This record gives sequence, C-alpha cells and structure tokens, in this order.
Amino acid sequence: MTSLTGPGRIQLEIFTDAHRISCQMAVGIRGLHAELADSSSNYREVEDAYISRVNEPAEITANYARCALRKDNVKFVVLQDRREGLPMGSHHAQSVYTRGRPVPVFLTVPAFEIRGELRHDGKVSPALLMAQAISRYLFVFAATAAAALHPQVVYHGDLIMVDAAQIGVLGIEERR
Amino acid sequence: MADILVIDDDEQMLQVVGMMLRRGGHQALLANTPQQGLAHIVEQKPDLVVLDVMMPGMSGYELCRQVRARAELADLPILILSARSQEVDRQAGLQSGATDYLSKPIMSQALLQRIDELLSQRFPASRTAAEGFVLSFFSLRGGVGRTTLAVNLAAALRAQGRGGVCLVELTPSGGQAAFHLRLQTTASWADLPPLPAEVGWTQLSARLLAHSSGLRLLAAPAAPQLPAMPAAESVTHWLQLLRQQMDYVVIDLPPLRSAATQAALGCADMVWHVVTPDVISLRLALPGQKLLQTAAAETTAKAFLLNQVTAETLLPADVVERGLRQRVAFQVGYDAQQARALMQGAPLALSSAQSSLALLAHRLAEGIGQQARARQRAAGAGA
Repeated sequence: MTSLTGPGRIQLEIFTDAHRISCQMAVGIRGLHAELADSSSNYREVEDAYISRVNEPAEITANYARCALRKDNVKFVVLQDRREGLPMGSHHAQSVYTRGRPVPVFLTVPAFEIRGELRHDGKVSPALLMAQAISRYLFVFAATAAAALHPQVVYHGDLIMVDAAQIGVLGIEERR
Repeated sequence: MADILVIDDDEQMLQVVGMMLRRGGHQALLANTPQQGLAHIVEQKPDLVVLDVMMPGMSGYELCRQVRARAELADLPILILSARSQEVDRQAGLQSGATDYLSKPIMSQALLQRIDELLSQRFPASRTAAEGFVLSFFSLRGGVGRTTLAVNLAAALRAQGRGGVCLVELTPSGGQAAFHLRLQTTASWADLPPLPAEVGWTQLSARLLAHSSGLRLLAAPAAPQLPAMPAAESVTHWLQLLRQQMDYVVIDLPPLRSAATQAALGCADMVWHVVTPDVISLRLALPGQKLLQTAAAETTAKAFLLNQVTAETLLPADVVERGLRQRVAFQVGYDAQQARALMQGAPLALSSAQSSLALLAHRLAEGIGQQARARQRAAGAGA
C-alpha cells in the first residue's frame, strides 16, 4: 500500500455540524486519538484542508494549506482505516477498544445520524455504553453517517470516531 | 505502452504514482499544479491523465470540466485519484467528466490494471501497425532451463527499457516463473473464461501479475489442474491480445506436443529451441525440430540454444551440432549464481548484471530489439 501522507501523517475527514473538512494531520507517534483527546488545548491545526458544505459534499468551498479547528465543535471524524484512529497499542483484537462482540448502534449528533458497530463485552444497555465510555470518543466501526437534513448524502468509513459529548440519542439493536 | 500525465499538487504522491507508471512500462509526465497540467494536456496530448481532486487554485473537477469543454479532448481518458473516497465524490468526479475514479491509497497493481482497462477502451484495436514481438522458448525435453532463460530474457528486455514486456508461462504442471520473480500466483491463465470470445484485454490484463520492474506475467496455475492445457484457440487469442498491447511477449512453452504448444509456436516471430548437452536432449531435439517446422510459420526465425554447458560436458558443442545437423546459435554456460537468484526471487538479469546468464540475456535482448525494429521497418515499408 502506498502511503500518501508520509510517516506520522494521516488523511482524515472531520465533520462539524455544517461542514466537511478533508485534511491531513501530523499525529506523530501518539496517534490521532491522543491528539484529539488531548485536553491541554482546545484547538488543533490541520494541513491541506479542503472544506465543503455538508449539503454539497463534493464541491470544494475553500481550501487552506493550514487551518485550526476548535476540537469541541468537531462532531465526528471519518477514517478509512481503523488503525489510524484507535489509540496507540490498541490495534490488536483483545484491546479494550476492539474486543467483545459487535453491537449494532444508531446514534445522532447535531445534523447527522450515524450507524455502525460498537465493540462491547458483557451485558449492554444504551445508557451503559455512554456512561462507561472509556474515551472522549466512541469508536463506531464499519460505519455510515447520513446528513439529517440531506439523507441522500452518506459518508462511509472503516471507523467513525464520535465525540461522546455531542451524542443526542444512542440506540442499540441487541442480538437475541 | 502509453504516455500518461499525472497531475497532483502533492510532490510525494506525484513521484510515487510516476514511479508506479514507469514500472508498469508507461511514460510518466508529471505536473504539480492544475494550470501546468492543463497546459501539458493541450501541448503534449497524453494518452491518459491521472488527476488529483484536492489542489489549490483549481479542483480536479474544475480541471476536468475545462478539458471536456475542448472538443478535441472529448475522448481523453481521465482517471481521478483522490483521497476523498465517498460515493458522492465519485459521482461528482464522473459528472465533471472524468472517465473513472479511484480512491487513495492505491495499490500499484490496481492502478495499472485500471489504466490498462481505460487505455484498451480508448484504443481497442490500437498498435496494429506496431504489434509486439513474440518469441518462444521451446523444447520437448523437460529440465533444460527454459523457464530460467525466458524469465531472464523478459527481465533483460524490461531492464533495457524496451517498453511493455509480458512473460507467458504455459506449463500445465505447476508454474515456476512466479517463483523466479518472487510473485504470488494470485491469478493465472486458468482463471480466464474458457471461450476466447469472452476474453478481452480487460479480462486478460486483470490476470497479469505485475513485477516491480514493470514486467508482466501471465502465470501458469501454481498447481497442476484439469484441463491440463488451455485450448489452442484460447492460446492464439491471448497471444493476439498481448501482441496488440505489449512490445514484447516471451513465451515459456511446456515440453509437450499439445495443440496449445503448436498454437503458440504458430504465433511466434522467433523460437529458441533449447537443448542441453546430453543424449536424451539430442534424441528429443529432432522430433522437436519437426514439430517446430510444422507448427511455426515459415517467416518465424528459429535457432538452437545450447544451455547448461559446463567444463565437464561430455557432449561438446561440435558434437551436439553434428547430432542436430545444425549450428547452435548460442551457448549458455551453467551459472552457479542461478540457484541463489531463484531462492531470492531476483532474476540474474536484474540482480547480477555481470553473471554469465545475465550477460547472455542482455545480449539476446539487444539482438531481439534489433530484429523487432527491422520487422517494424519492413511492416512500415510494406504498408
């Protein structure tokens, strides 16, 4: 596989409630999760940012070599390779993020509906999933995000990292 | 192969895609701004464009629209290669006039395969005026080193920058060429549809394995299977397709008197009849020569190649020539480095230029290059 972005840099898509930002981020050895969850700063710079409106996702409204994001306005991040989002050292199947059975979930964040799978061990309930979140982000695997006001606009990702504080509703479909 | 323009503002990506294309036997032109890319398209008229979307100043979509606004560029294949991988992005790319859309990151083989498909759609009957040169290594005796010779000649042709080179291994008893090239046999001729009419360049090119040197391989199945050999009509059809798309096709024929072998001999411009200095090889060389005279065209160049010659050889070249009643055009000494080359999956023609086998492969490649040029000149004069 040819790396596009070089070592320590990843390509990602960041969503606010109205915009899609396709960009690159230098994440270093700590990885994307650590950069976004780092509470010592509310902001994060990204590079080669191409910005589209959510209702016109393919039209590029603006682009900047560098720009800053306010992290608490990021609703979710779409990645095409889950290894780029999981915390360092937790890529293996037995990590706290990846072990357990797949739990199909539906959740909402402002302006978006997200479907996919969470990984969870033991008895599961929606409130438990939110209350026991071990990170600022919920890791939704094999996920899709649809714009609530433009449901024909759907984004797919191997992993969608959802800011747990932005979640309005979370529903699970427990297999019986 | 083709002249391909790559337009991408990411210098690293530009170089990587350029390298992939060159290894695939194409000429790569590079542009790191959309404006420069548009100028190259107009001035240099490439056969195909690989285009990024996210570029400052002008998006790939806008560039596509500007290209399509020119009537003379209406059929130029444009392949968008973008990190934006959503279906809406693909739709937007196709609506802007792109021919196809691929998402980054991309595997080299997938990119080359898609490019081959787009080129074959644009030039369905192209290269008839300059068809590729087909040469075969043939022997009715097994174990004479045909595969080693074929792999090294194909590698030498590729290393000398002689355009697109494809090695075809037709053995039914388990392919070996992929081992020589350290390739996994993820596809082979056994995966092709049985009816020739169902096989176009798209299907065939999808089964070609790509070596990092740019050499392509139509591999034999890794394990023997039934039917043991493809039908003669299929072999003829595959070789016609390859001849249209490649500059050189090197065939490693099995030691079998089958219809497929005869069909392949019938397609060849040149046949190397490989013999070794032993009695069994000599005994089988005569019926082999009869088969060759029957199956190959009169215009096909035919020559004996004496392989695996050592200082202790019991049958020296003059004795072999008396037995064959013909001169041997080339003698190839036994090369002790070959065993290591096979272990490493690195043909000597690419990895050890001073080895005797590599030197011979490069000499043969130069001679074949001259023959191919002479044939093209003759074809051009005839036309």
